Amino acid sequence: MSSLPEVHLVAGTPAEAFRLAPVALAMREQGRLTPVLVATGADPAAVDATLERFRLTPKITLPSAAGQTETVRRFDALWAGRTPDAVVIRDDLPAALAAFWRRIPIMQIDAGRRDGDLLAASAGESRRRLLAQVATVHLAATPLAAMNLLDERVVAGDLLLTGGTAADAAGKLLRRRPHQRRVVLGVPPERAQAIGPALRYLAARHPDLEVLRPDQVRTLAEAYVVVTDDGDLLEEALAFGTPVLAITEGTEFSEAVHAGSVRVVAADPAAITSAVAELLDSRIRRDAMAAGGNPYGDGLASYRVAQATAALLGHGQFPDPMPARPVAGVAR
Amino acid sequence: MRESAMDVVSFWTKSWTSDDRVAARQLLAPDAEIEWNLDAPVDEEELVQTLHRIAAFADTVTVVEQTHADDGAALLYDLVAPFGTVRMIEFLGIENNRITEVRQVYDVTATDRFFPGLYEQ
Repeated sequence: MSSLPEVHLVAGTPAEAFRLAPVALAMREQGRLTPVLVATGADPAAVDATLERFRLTPKITLPSAAGQTETVRRFDALWAGRTPDAVVIRDDLPAALAAFWRRIPIMQIDAGRRDGDLLAASAGESRRRLLAQVATVHLAATPLAAMNLLDERVVAGDLLLTGGTAADAAGKLLRRRPHQRRVVLGVPPERAQAIGPALRYLAARHPDLEVLRPDQVRTLAEAYVVVTDDGDLLEEALAFGTPVLAITEGTEFSEAVHAGSVRVVAADPAAITSAVAELLDSRIRRDAMAAGGNPYGDGLASYRVAQATAALLGHGQFPDPMPARPVAGVAR
Repeated sequence: MRESAMDVVSFWTKSWTSDDRVAARQLLAPDAEIEWNLDAPVDEEELVQTLHRIAAFADTVTVVEQTHADDGAALLYDLVAPFGTVRMIEFLGIENNRITEVRQVYDVTATDRFFPGLYEQ
């Protein structure tokens, strides 16, 4: 049996599994920790499927209950019998609460993401702020996320700018590919019903155009542009070097908007179709967006997260933070 | 969780949310460990006074969820103030029908906004 400190990486959604998988691989590569993947959430099988892409298998499966209370109790029971030296989480509040209750150190990746509106804050936003209050080390993807945490009185010494690990995951799965004339539409079904037909009108001018759902990694990697209102999908698209038209009214994607790789569009089928048509008509415009790069990570975040976790447990030094300047993308 | 410990949790929440400082104080063991994430030192007196201010200022205080273990409980509260709601998580440790540990985690951003001056008096 390994004598290395055991760290539980808790993935409750495919998006979390996508970001935690490279961390587990980095921990294994660095050889200072024993990573144990925990698949949880409403659909652990979907988490398993994402981990499988990285040839990883969760050692523990702990389905979430309908209520948060029961989920906390299940994690508490798990960790009463098998107490890890630390846990790594992204957004899983029940797991974080159970760990905090047992005084298990909590490493939070992608810490500090906020939409910036306290009054209209969603339940998810409130959960993120509470999670920040129980986390031990806050691993932020961007300088803005780090500033959000400092504004919430997180101690600067508990904060590390690592970058986001989606870029690492993308790099492990696929190299950049020549893009196809594909528009990936990553929105909920009711919105897709309104936007999809409008986009297909563009096929009259662009006969080779395809409009697809974001169901495969390759789809994102080969897309011409992604249209989405989902922050996780937006980050994953940028990780694959694909520009994004973001349907949003908040400020949560401002780093990517400033970088140029994301443009904000109104939630109106005509406006979205017009923005897509503009990019289809001009390869230069599309490539200029892609050249804005990915402000959410430089591809080394998982190594920093693994190193920081080991350092917290007394193995080695904390890593240097990610250089704050975004890495410029390369047009394909 | 033993029934008596559950009674302690129930009595604690009822006491402080109804601003019964005497009853709340009686439930705390003399050497209870108390900690929170607010930017101020805390001891038994400060905790009771702060809970009193919350109970007095809030429109309502509700226990949204609670989880019980053998030796304690975790509670999630909604503190509804006139201009917004603050979430607070409380972890209680219980021995011999007394509360031996209180750990409170506030959403500090919302607390500062909706309960101004809560812990600076």
